[in-house]
Amino acid sequence: MEWYGYAGKILRVNLTQEKISSELLDRKLVREYLGGTGYAAKLMWDELKPGIDPLSPDNLLIFATGPVTGTLFPVSGSHDIVFKSPLTGIWGESRCGGFFGPRLKFAGYDFIVISGKAKKPVYLWICDGEAELRDASHLWGKGTHETARILLEELGLRDVSVNCIGPAGERLVRFAAILDENDRAAGRCGGGAVMGSKNLKAVAVSGSGEIKVARPREFEEALSKVNEAAYKFKKATVFAEYGTPGIVEPLNEAGAFPTMNFQTCYFENAHEIGGEALVKKYLIKRRSCFACLIGCGRHTEVKSGTYQTPAHEGPEYETINMFGGQLLIDNLAAIIKANYLCNDYGLDTISTGNCIAFAIEAYEKGLISEELVGGLILEWGNPTTLLELIEAIAFKRSGLGELLAEGVWRASKKLGDGAEAIAVHVKGLEAPAHDPRGTSRSFAIQYAIGNRGGCHTHPNWTGLWDFGKFDPGLRSFDLPWPPIDRFDEENVEKRAKAVKLFALHGLCAEILGFCRFFVENNEGACASPKILAEFISALLGFDINEYELMRISERVFNLQRCFNIREGIGRKDDALPKRFFEPIKSGPTKGQYVKNFERLLEAFYREAGWDAATGIPTKSKLLELGLDYVINQIPAP
Amino acid sequence: MKGLIALPERCTGCQRCVLACSYVHAQSFSPSKSRIWVMRAKRKIDFPVFCNQCGLCINACPTGALYRDAKTRAVIIDENRCIGCGFCVGACPWGLIILDPGIKKAIKCDLCGGNPACVKECPEKALLFVDLNEAAFAKRSLFIRLMGE
Repeated sequence: MEWYGYAGKILRVNLTQEKISSELLDRKLVREYLGGTGYAAKLMWDELKPGIDPLSPDNLLIFATGPVTGTLFPVSGSHDIVFKSPLTGIWGESRCGGFFGPRLKFAGYDFIVISGKAKKPVYLWICDGEAELRDASHLWGKGTHETARILLEELGLRDVSVNCIGPAGERLVRFAAILDENDRAAGRCGGGAVMGSKNLKAVAVSGSGEIKVARPREFEEALSKVNEAAYKFKKATVFAEYGTPGIVEPLNEAGAFPTMNFQTCYFENAHEIGGEALVKKYLIKRRSCFACLIGCGRHTEVKSGTYQTPAHEGPEYETINMFGGQLLIDNLAAIIKANYLCNDYGLDTISTGNCIAFAIEAYEKGLISEELVGGLILEWGNPTTLLELIEAIAFKRSGLGELLAEGVWRASKKLGDGAEAIAVHVKGLEAPAHDPRGTSRSFAIQYAIGNRGGCHTHPNWTGLWDFGKFDPGLRSFDLPWPPIDRFDEENVEKRAKAVKLFALHGLCAEILGFCRFFVENNEGACASPKILAEFISALLGFDINEYELMRISERVFNLQRCFNIREGIGRKDDALPKRFFEPIKSGPTKGQYVKNFERLLEAFYREAGWDAATGIPTKSKLLELGLDYVINQIPAP
Repeated sequence: MKGLIALPERCTGCQRCVLACSYVHAQSFSPSKSRIWVMRAKRKIDFPVFCNQCGLCINACPTGALYRDAKTRAVIIDENRCIGCGFCVGACPWGLIILDPGIKKAIKCDLCGGNPACVKECPEKALLFVDLNEAAFAKRSLFIRLMGE
């Protein structure tokens, strides 16, 4: 039987036994979980032993594509990497743009499931259905840029994509990233450290296979609809012209630009580091991920001076905030250099920036001893602090570098004496460049319940509703309309409902394998559930409507939640860092803080069908979603 | 008559032309079934490349499977006559004919019969199907621009 949309196969690699095999995708599971982080969640649930050390050979590393990955769907150059996070100890997932996902499918596989640990450094080479482990001793110790360059050279005259780690991943920095050959990163949650712990330096893919379409005529109609929406999205947003850095100034003006380790939400010099400055001074050209007609990628270079860099894919909004506002650095060239170094060493820029901001504030408050600092400069607004600490963290070079390489949660626990009060993370994942106080109270819920911890993008940027005033086609799901004020904490039911719907909609991107930006606008200018359902029905050849699609999303969301419950997570962990309960110190949102967190959380639990006391999905919710098999494996609510 | 040209300065390397090409010719998505490729050079260049219809391959074919279309002046492969020997692939100085690894026959740009799918799909207008003299001008200036790179 033919596969449509999917390549149809899973590649399994046991590094300990040096055994490689392949198996067919399960058609029943495809109907229930589709692909990407959905199908991967089922694999993780079934195969990952609860309680294992994420840096042990027992961890799994899953490269996951979705059914639309690699097709003409407007933003289909996407894959997710799933694992148990060494940073948080729970569900870890990280999305990456570029070409790797499509090429994995052209090579014949939707998923790679990697287990065990290689005896010595290896890389995995997958080409047209064949896969082999190769010696990587010549790559070990090298940065991601050099690693990718050597691999592209040695793997011959064909289109190859690489996902690899740098020195940070090799040294098991808990927030080490995985980078591709064009500076695209699977940044968050420490997948790079999982690769490092497995002695897996890189995965390289190339393929000449094809992705088939089940119902061509219907498909072409659906494609022209999503294309039209994507062109409208492109016109309506700043991403094509200024990339994600284009939102630096708008968010700052709204008092939603976390600054100085989240002490405030406004940075006076934001215009120096915004999208316009980047384009004017450092942009070489725009570059796209595979099949993307938006093209937000900033191919960037600092031509000369202290912060000179080679041409590379430059910093995103998150990085500019975490290295700029959060550290009070207004030198864009220094931020670009720092971004380049993080990419080369394989570090997540969000966690890195958050850790450095924490260190500066902790030092200022006398929580870090001079001995631990060991001569490093720790100052706000000083690019040297940023660049020195990146080196120190990536190579675990000094006492402070070693401490911060553990992530802000562990570092603050070790320091004690009030350091925990200034560590801004949820479940161990460093909070990114958005703030529940300054941006939207929806983030108070989102950060608390996000399956991978405090994150702005998984399952969605839920401020789209009240901050953005967007309806991406959710009103047929009873999205409350008009949205409430972004600081409103009284209408908790409405907010909870909106967060849930946006979360489930955002998750569709990870399940289907496309870039999540494309869910962030109004119906007609984004991938609404309806046009997504039409597209995948025509592509896959079985009928799914928007309600079933959102239901699959809810099933996946709850399965990931149950994965975390099985690891010991519950209501006590659905907490916000202390900082979000302190008033913002300056700017347009001065004085804002989260007041009714417990009420917001409980409203979300009710909306989600989770038990109020424990945060565990109720039995009836699990039965309703067809997740009966998890019931006996998690505590009863 | 019209000519297909690329303006590499506009190209972001998204490969939508590649996917559109494979879809109209093979009803599936596969860069190895595409007759257009986007070549990326590290610093600045993303360059869509495709057959310029010079016809050097016509005489290399032992079965006479290659001919020039009277209307579009594109060089066309008669799939029924092609035996997949690859002589045309060897004859092309630019690497713009390949063997489709699936059907094991030569494939190349046929200008979609005068309505190139890649041009419609390009989001950056980096591919244009224009009057022959305009196309000629674009080719001349491209050569000079690349020399300056």
